[in-house]
Amino acid sequence: MTTRERAHAIARRGTVLSGVMLVALILVYVRALMFTPIERFQGPAQKIFYVHAPAAWSALLAFAITGILSILYLWLRDHRMDLAASASAEVGVAFSVVMLTTGPIWGKPIWGTWWTWDARLTSTLFIFLLFVGYLVMRGAVADPDTRARYSAVLGIMGLVLVPFIHATVFLFRTLHPDPILMKPDKPSLPGDMLVTLLFSFGVFTLLYVGFVTQRYALALLEDLRDEEAANRAVS
Amino acid sequence: MQYPDNGGYMVAAYVITAGVVVVYAITLWARLRKVK
Repeated sequence: MTTRERAHAIARRGTVLSGVMLVALILVYVRALMFTPIERFQGPAQKIFYVHAPAAWSALLAFAITGILSILYLWLRDHRMDLAASASAEVGVAFSVVMLTTGPIWGKPIWGTWWTWDARLTSTLFIFLLFVGYLVMRGAVADPDTRARYSAVLGIMGLVLVPFIHATVFLFRTLHPDPILMKPDKPSLPGDMLVTLLFSFGVFTLLYVGFVTQRYALALLEDLRDEEAANRAVS
Repeated sequence: MQYPDNGGYMVAAYVITAGVVVVYAITLWARLRKVK
């Protein structure tokens, strides 16, 4: 199988997975809106949590994986690691947009303000801007090796930020709620709500996998196109 | 039971989530088609 055929096969698998997960996202909406109880004190706005928390998870997972792939790139100098890292970073930025818009929409009715400059919110905005910068930088640097090296450094900086962001609610006085799932004791959520949340986490995680698979295939195909163009220019 | 009247915020958040995810999915699909 040639590299092009392999990239097409990866693209097909990613497209199918993303498509199935988009349908599954409709089921998340149906379950959250119609079959999950309304929280007594926060009212319907609490249901924002079923999209906000999984989107935040997918975004931070994406940035963590970008960082790990960046370390692997610097260690192995395998160009595919750089392409996969950049794919994960782009998908992470997309999920960050969901996280950073749904969060304030929940904050307004519950906190009485769209935004507050506390540690969790500020560090989350910072990692988003870091990876927007990562993508802009990749577009600006033409040499593939230089681009990959600079990207890897930024990716590793993002990886360092991920556990810090998770820990901000314990380290600082912050308005942001404590974790519901990722904490030492058992989840603090009633059964019906927990099932909806876990279902949404599963769908967002697989949606991340689908998107990254597609984006990685796209990066492989763009790489091949550039390589062919360079070969034509030489001959 | 009387709940706070904030359903509009919930609808806005769900619409924006679906919008971002669907637009990104379409963008990826279109870019893949273009490069093929």
